[in-house]
Amino acid sequence: MKTSNNHRFLLATAIALYVAGCATVPPGPPSEVVRLQNDLDRLHSDPRIADNAGTELANADAAVDVLARNARVLDAREYEQGVFIADKLIGIAEASALARFEEQRGMQLGAERERLMARTTTIDSSTTTVVTRVPQRVVQTDTGELVPSARAELMSMQNQMPGVESRLDARGLVIRLGDFMFEPGRAELTPTAEQSLDQVARVLSTDTDAGIVVEAFGNDGLARERADSVRDYLDARGVDGGRIMARSVSYAPGAIASNDRRVDIVIQSDLRR
Amino acid sequence: MIRRSPIHRFGLLFIAALAVSGTAAAVDHDTATLELTQAVTAVQAAERDDAARYAPTDLDQAHVLLDSAQSAADGRDWTDVAIYSERAKVVGDLASSRARQHRAEVATAEIQRTVDSLRQQLGGAP
Repeated sequence: MKTSNNHRFLLATAIALYVAGCATVPPGPPSEVVRLQNDLDRLHSDPRIADNAGTELANADAAVDVLARNARVLDAREYEQGVFIADKLIGIAEASALARFEEQRGMQLGAERERLMARTTTIDSSTTTVVTRVPQRVVQTDTGELVPSARAELMSMQNQMPGVESRLDARGLVIRLGDFMFEPGRAELTPTAEQSLDQVARVLSTDTDAGIVVEAFGNDGLARERADSVRDYLDARGVDGGRIMARSVSYAPGAIASNDRRVDIVIQSDLRR
Repeated sequence: MIRRSPIHRFGLLFIAALAVSGTAAAVDHDTATLELTQAVTAVQAAERDDAARYAPTDLDQAHVLLDSAQSAADGRDWTDVAIYSERAKVVGDLASSRARQHRAEVATAEIQRTVDSLRQQLGGAP
């Protein structure tokens, strides 16, 4: 009888512990994981981020997914490490995508700036600059420096490089890389600049006649380093480096534009033919 | 410079720990040293990316974590070295990303101001 009572007591205790256990283990993933998942949802629903997401967002997705599936089997230290790393990967995904968004917006605004500057220049020097536009996409200046067929060829090249800031002027087709296309104070290209140069290289590698001049503006050695960096990048992408003249352009002392550290790639297609 | 993707580095310790229970407690000297070297590289990259100016909080945190990793290395606690290094690396990468974001925002804002000014000069014409 006493043994039977003990069995009943143990059984009741076991049931009580089981019920208590069930009651204290919350269903679903831990709150930190839910927070991370919510952060990811926020990134995916933000068009600035979703439309510019690179591998960083996929990495963050993968990290949170692994954490969510394994949260219950990790020990405290592993779990804490996983939450920390996943949290930072989400931050990297957000910052990287927003950087791309701003860089693209900067390129669009840069093109707009060029368009507006061209208009102000025309207004300022309307008595000395004569640009004659004739049908069939052919444009000829009063100096005769550009022949119509060459100009048309440059326009065709320009059309093959959507998203690249460029314009046609007396020098030829000018592709502009702003200061922000380089790592600050360095000659390394940003990923956005590399995307632009990939398009340029694709076009130039099919036209072996075009002359190419890379002009980096600035009054120190960095300008020349940046010019060389652009030439080397194009060379690595199939454009013969021997065709490319890389040089730096110094500003006159006190020039207003002396803080403009842009790099221009000037394409002179068949201009001398 | 070739940088390993965060998920690759992330995988070294964390996912390995998931695959084999207790792996984190058995980090060897070579693995820990590799992690530490990569952490130093990531933090140096963040410094070159001007994170001190654009992402100072993240860069400071990366430095603190790197110091912890180096202290753990002095004490030959390879697990702690790997854990702190992993954190320092990812925070260094975050500092670089945020620096790039802020730099792009500053550059774009400057171009926007120029465009607004030019539009004004042209009498608000589109």
